[in-house]
Amino acid sequence: MGSSRGQRLSGMQKQVLSLYRGFLRAARSKSQEERRNIESVVSQEFRRNAKDVDRKNFLYIEYLLRRGNKQLDQLRNPGTTAISSLQLHFSKTDQAG
Amino acid sequence: MQACYKTIVCVGWSRKSLPSLRSSRFRICAVQAQPETVQKVCDIVRKQLALPPESELTPDTKFSALGADSLDTVEIVMGLEEEFGITVEEDGSQNISTVQEAADLIEKLVQDKTAPS
Repeated sequence: MGSSRGQRLSGMQKQVLSLYRGFLRAARSKSQEERRNIESVVSQEFRRNAKDVDRKNFLYIEYLLRRGNKQLDQLRNPGTTAISSLQLHFSKTDQAG
Repeated sequence: MQACYKTIVCVGWSRKSLPSLRSSRFRICAVQAQPETVQKVCDIVRKQLALPPESELTPDTKFSALGADSLDTVEIVMGLEEEFGITVEEDGSQNISTVQEAADLIEKLVQDKTAPS
C-alpha cells in the first residue's frame, strides 16, 4: 500500500484498514489465547489477500469487505468465544476415484 | 532532543516591510513528545516489526522504510493504544508514519485524557 508523508489512502484502503482495526479491537475482548489466535488468523488472511488480490478488482474486494464485516459482527457477539478457519489445499496428485 | 523549529527567522530591517512568516519554513509543534514517550514508542515499533537490535531507528524514520505496510501500522497503533491506555480515532492513525508522529499524538491524547474537563 502506498506511503508518502500523510499517506493518501483510497476510500477502499481505508475501509480495509478500518475492518482490520475492528478485528483487532474485537480480539481484545476474548481470552488471551483466543486473542492470539484471532490476531494470527486475521493477519494472515488480510496479508494473503493483499498479496493475491488485484487492487483493481473492486467487486471482489467489496465482497471481501462485506463478508469481513459480517464475520466481525459475529465476533463482536459476547457469545462468540473463538474462531476457526479452514484452509483447503489442492495438490496435483489428488485424483478423483 | 529535537528542536521544534526547523529554521530561525532573522528579521532584516533593510527591507521595507517585515518578512512574512509564511515565506520561511516554520514547523510549529503544538505538542512535543517527551523523550521517554519517544523511547517507549521505539521499543514497541521494534517489537512489532521484529527489527534486529542493531537496526537504526530514529524518531523520523518512516515505518515504511523499515518494511512496514499499512497493516503493520494499524498493529503498531493498536499496541501503542494498549501501552498508553488511549484510543486513537480512525483519522488519527492514518496520519502516523513515523515514531515522532506517534509519540506526539500519544502525548496529546494523554494530555486530553488527564486534563480537567
